[in-house]
Amino acid sequence: MAKRKTSFGRDTGLQARMLLTMFLLGLVYVVFVGVLFAAGAGAGIIVIFAVGMLLLQLFASDKIAMSTMGVKEVSPLEEPELHGIIERLCVQADIPKPRVCVMETSMPNAFAMGRSQKSTTVCATRGILNLLSPAELEGVMAHEITHVVNRDVMVMTLASFFATLASLIMQFAFFFGGGYGDQEEEQDVMIVIVVSVVVYALSFVLLRALSRYREFAADRGSAVLTGRPSALASALLKISGTMDSVPTQDLRVAEGMSAFFIIPARAKKSLMNVFSDHPPLEQRLAALERLESQLQGAA
Amino acid sequence: MGLRDILTGRHEVKGPAPDHLFAITTAYITLSAEHQIEPAGTAAIVFQALATSEFESTLKEMEEVVTATGGESATKVGTEEDNYGYRWMVLRNPEGTPNVEDLAVGINAVSSSIETAGHGERLLCAVFAFTDARGRRIYFIYNYKRGTWYPFVPDPAQPQQRISERELQIKAQMSGEMPIEPELERWFPLWGIPI
Repeated sequence: MAKRKTSFGRDTGLQARMLLTMFLLGLVYVVFVGVLFAAGAGAGIIVIFAVGMLLLQLFASDKIAMSTMGVKEVSPLEEPELHGIIERLCVQADIPKPRVCVMETSMPNAFAMGRSQKSTTVCATRGILNLLSPAELEGVMAHEITHVVNRDVMVMTLASFFATLASLIMQFAFFFGGGYGDQEEEQDVMIVIVVSVVVYALSFVLLRALSRYREFAADRGSAVLTGRPSALASALLKISGTMDSVPTQDLRVAEGMSAFFIIPARAKKSLMNVFSDHPPLEQRLAALERLESQLQGAA
Repeated sequence: MGLRDILTGRHEVKGPAPDHLFAITTAYITLSAEHQIEPAGTAAIVFQALATSEFESTLKEMEEVVTATGGESATKVGTEEDNYGYRWMVLRNPEGTPNVEDLAVGINAVSSSIETAGHGERLLCAVFAFTDARGRRIYFIYNYKRGTWYPFVPDPAQPQQRISERELQIKAQMSGEMPIEPELERWFPLWGIPI
């Protein structure tokens, strides 16, 4: 492809980390499959069961989620602004328009569902529609649309297939522990169970890392799609409620030192970061700030 | 979008497709002669304005260029911002002398200067306004990402409603004359067009 000038640089580091995570995940899975095969027949039924689960997840999870969470599809007449924002983003991203839903809850949030571009639903809660300005809402919807374009639902479902399998084996072992007469066979079963536990633990951490990288990629995608990284940053601040800590009172009006809020120093919870599926807000804001300065420095 | 892009979660915004903007300069003759759809003498281009000083100065230069080239036909240029934060650059022929070629040249000058500045992926659409025999406003929208055209007929009586029947008639009449977007679900409406 011919090189052309773009408003944003490449994010080689993020891509490298993402690929490394997927490689490690694959490695864990290969070992796991090897052990399953070595253990022989008993595992076969579980594998078939897991494939069934996978298909169910891919094809029905969005419908199940929609019916249990009280998500309602809205027409352009009911939500003209939301539809307008999404339509323009679809032109910009060159994708067909997804179904647009609203969830009647005051909690500000948004999400995208569906395995392919053709069968996608984007959903915003009433809370987020009330909270955000159009530009901020556009940033959030662009983030969700990037999840769709990147096929994140598909990627994460497939990536977690063997983790699901390992957790199934653990559950089976828990319910039907022992009862296998033959001593040698029992040993095999024990090995499978131990390996399953290890696989589950490793893949859990790796999947969470992968999910965080996909979030960063979607933030970046949103910034590239809208050309307004700071609008998304402001939306994230509002959603997380920390916007309150940015003072709105004029410095001159405020009396003395009371204008200088002490922003509580947060302890670095590095271990918690490993288990989280969304990156910490500070890191997302920092990444968006880098994008904004790339944009401003593009001259 | 390839497998590698899916794995790395990387999606770059598409730049403009091969240019079919000038299809309107031949199509309008057929529209006028055979279907009584007359040009209204206005056109606009809509894009995302980046909040950088570089982009703003590009826009400013561009406005001067368009005003200068439109000098002999006295085409006027104006800018507007809509509710969604998109920027519209509106070109108006003088009253009573609609000139589609001039408008297309002007729109093309705007889009190519945005592209030259390296922001081609910010272009959304160009819109040309027409009026049919019953005085109804008909828009032809050009999608820069796909390089295709589609008609858009908003219902004057009801907000947020479009007259699909009329749009499909126009599609049937004009599909030989200009590249009409084949996928109907990509005929995105643009409400509140300022022309």
